[in-house]
Amino acid sequence: MTKTVSIAPVSKTLTVHATQAHAFETFTAGIDRWWPRSHGVGSTPMVRSAIEPRPGGRWYTVHEDGSEVVVGHVRVWEPPSRVVFSWEISAQWKPDASVASEVEVAFTAEGPRTTRVDLVHRDFEALGPDGGDKLRRDVAGGWPGLLDLFRTVAER
Amino acid sequence: MAYRNALDVLADPTRRRVFERLRRGPLAVGRLASGLPVSRPAVSQHLKVLKEAGLVREEQDGTRRIYRIDPRGLARLRSWLDQFWDTALDAFKAEVEREDDKGTP
Repeated sequence: MTKTVSIAPVSKTLTVHATQAHAFETFTAGIDRWWPRSHGVGSTPMVRSAIEPRPGGRWYTVHEDGSEVVVGHVRVWEPPSRVVFSWEISAQWKPDASVASEVEVAFTAEGPRTTRVDLVHRDFEALGPDGGDKLRRDVAGGWPGLLDLFRTVAER
Repeated sequence: MAYRNALDVLADPTRRRVFERLRRGPLAVGRLASGLPVSRPAVSQHLKVLKEAGLVREEQDGTRRIYRIDPRGLARLRSWLDQFWDTALDAFKAEVEREDDKGTP
C-alpha cells in the first residue's frame, strides 16, 4: 500500500501600510530591495535577487561567482492583486527544476494605503526528487547556505 | 535542535537516497537495499540514523521490519519553512512601508 505523505501549507497574512500597487511592485519587480541575502541557494553568497515581471518570468538569484540560480517561475501574473510562482527548490534546499512546490501571494486593498498580503506556500509533497540521477549530484552547493540561514532564523 | 539534526542527517547522499525511496511508500530493508549500491547492513545503519533524527519510523511485520517516513520529521521541515517566510515577509514589510516610498493612493 502506498500512502501519500501530506504536509500542511505554510500560510502567512500580513497587513502593510502601502498601496496595493506598491505592495505588488515591491514584492515582485522590487524583490532585490528586500529579499534577505541569507535566503540564497547558490554555492557562493547571493549578491542580487530578481523576478522577471511577466507570466513565465524567472525568479532567480545572482551569486558572487557570477552564477545564476533559478528559484522558480511566474505561473500566474495578475498585477496588482495576485502572483503565483513555482518554487523549484528541493527539500534539501537545492535548486531542482524537476520539483516544484507553489507560492501564491495575493494583495488585497483594505484602504487607500493599507494592503493585506496573503502568502501560501503549498504542495510540499512535490519536494524532493525520487530519481537516482538527481540524487547523485553533489549537494555541497546548497548546504552551507541552508545551515547559515537556519542559524540566522534560530538566533533571531 | 531537532530540525538542524534532520538537515545534517540528510546531508549524506546515500542516506538521502534511502529517505527518498521511502517517499513512495513503506518498504522493508531488503527491498530498500536492493535498489541501492550499498550493502544491506549499510542501509540498516542509515535507517537507524534516520530513525534517531525522527525522519522515519519502523514497525514489525512478521519477521520483517518495515520502514516508513515519519510525518513528524517532515513537520519540522515545514516549521522551518514557516520561519523562513516569517523572516522574508518581515523584510518585505519593512521595505514596502519605507516612509519615502509608500506609493500613491
